[in-house]
Amino acid sequence: MLKILVCVKQVPDVDLVTMDPETGNLVREGVPTLTNPLDLNALEAAVQVKERYGGEITLITMGPPMAESTLREGLAVGGDDAILITGRPFGGADTLSTSYPILMAANMKGKFDLIFCGKESLDGATGQMASQLAERFDASQISCCYSIEEITDGKIKATRTLETGKEIVEATLPCLITVEKDNFYGRLPSLKAYLASKTAEITTYTENDIDGLDMNKIGVPGSGTIVPKIYPPELPEPGQIISTGSAKTDVSKLVELLAEKGSI
Amino acid sequence: MQKSDYKNMWVYIEHDGETVAPVSLELCCEIRKLCDVTGEKLYAVIISDLPHEEVDKIRECGVDGIIYVNGTGYEYFNTDAYANVFTVLSRKYNPSAIFVGGTIFGRDFAPRFAVQLDTGCTSDAMELEYDPETGDIQFIEPAVGGKIMAVITVPVMRPQVGTIRPGTFKYAPVGAKENVEAICEEISFDPEAIRCKHIDFIPDDMDPELDIANADCIVCVGNGLKDSEHLERYRVLAKLLGGKIGCTRPLFDRGILPYKLQIGQSGVMVKTKLYISFGVSGAVNHTAGVDADVFVAVDKNPDAQIFNYCDYGIVGDMDEVCDELIDQLKARQA
Repeated sequence: MLKILVCVKQVPDVDLVTMDPETGNLVREGVPTLTNPLDLNALEAAVQVKERYGGEITLITMGPPMAESTLREGLAVGGDDAILITGRPFGGADTLSTSYPILMAANMKGKFDLIFCGKESLDGATGQMASQLAERFDASQISCCYSIEEITDGKIKATRTLETGKEIVEATLPCLITVEKDNFYGRLPSLKAYLASKTAEITTYTENDIDGLDMNKIGVPGSGTIVPKIYPPELPEPGQIISTGSAKTDVSKLVELLAEKGSI
Repeated sequence: MQKSDYKNMWVYIEHDGETVAPVSLELCCEIRKLCDVTGEKLYAVIISDLPHEEVDKIRECGVDGIIYVNGTGYEYFNTDAYANVFTVLSRKYNPSAIFVGGTIFGRDFAPRFAVQLDTGCTSDAMELEYDPETGDIQFIEPAVGGKIMAVITVPVMRPQVGTIRPGTFKYAPVGAKENVEAICEEISFDPEAIRCKHIDFIPDDMDPELDIANADCIVCVGNGLKDSEHLERYRVLAKLLGGKIGCTRPLFDRGILPYKLQIGQSGVMVKTKLYISFGVSGAVNHTAGVDADVFVAVDKNPDAQIFNYCDYGIVGDMDEVCDELIDQLKARQA
């Protein structure tokens, strides 16, 4: 039976995050959260593998206690088991010090054959987690997976999307996979699964529960990068705005200007 | 070791055995400027053979040296062998920074060797600055959907690893140095130990409508679009103008247009004569990908950030303005 790990992240709806002009801090309070959309495509790929070959899907996330809702969402569409890593010392982590505790916590549940994760997150958007998790898990890596052809004898054959075409690859297990959306659109839960997910048990690990966890490799101390400063983007001066209230008049003015410039 | 013991900056030269990827030359040019500020040397790292005339292009970017790596395991790109090269070389030479083009391959292996070296990795910087007080590079990049700019540094660990998207920096070679140091390294990776093996490659069919990077005119449709049924008029407008249609990320996310038409830092960087946006809010991630002689923006929100980037802006309903523009252009052409 395949043991499958799916990494998910709860993210703020970035469209609604604002920046406090006085303090320069991000205002996240009251901003709704969602499960990172690309993680749901990764989960869908895992569920398709489970349907085809059998297996057990463990969901894992790191975040505040409220991130539990993202795990429940995953349990409703095919996850069998879920791990929440939570605790103050994990806070402020970059990808280096996030990938490490995910490995250590996953190890508590045994060895995984396949690890799925989203290509990037809506908020951080570094796109680095997948590669760094693959390295932590000492796994092969198929990023931008378009379709999974076959899994047999400890190997996975898949097609991945590159800039100018499709590459067919064969990788040994354990393998970490990120997916393109094309063939892995998420699904809606059945009512039964949805209700079951509400009361399902979730394994919660704090820093004290994970065997062999090196406290120097998590949170801020374990991070390779810091963000010493954020600021609003410098905006150029606005261009010439045409706003007469009539589309017809506006457009004829624009056409005139573009004709003068030789653009049309 | 102190971080001041790590010296010189490296650029990974991505190539297919015949030509160098443009992003690698762009990076050589940009990091040349950074090294001039820090007083460090710039090295290009070439893995496996590359024709002389292509190596000359790298020299023209003003590199101080080239590290040539040969050995087994590099026939096709693979994360295992390529990450290993940088881990081995970095431990031997201790560079202060390693830059890798943010292509699919680059983004695959750079974060991996950063973990092997236990160091910090950043992606998608749009500006690079040097802070002489700390000796750190400031990687400046848009964050939180382009709402803010974030300065990211690697304050303790070395090397500082950064992947940078193609088209972010200008290719402006300063000319070859008189003496370019050549370092040859033999680093072999057992092909049997490559865990993800290349089997085949099937090139995409070339659809000219999807090749928008250098189109003369681009009509870009943003998240203001109600649904795919409203898209047709923008195709008509693009055709009238002899141009092509493009989009912003939300339209790709909504499944309305393909990824190859997504304009911006994480999609296609376009250079065009006339660019007209409809219903585009103007996030930095998008505008960073637009280099237009004339920039026109149409949006119903008078406070939209897009108006800060345009030459001419119309505040109004995107569909209505598009229809009107089609009518008036047709009248002109008649």
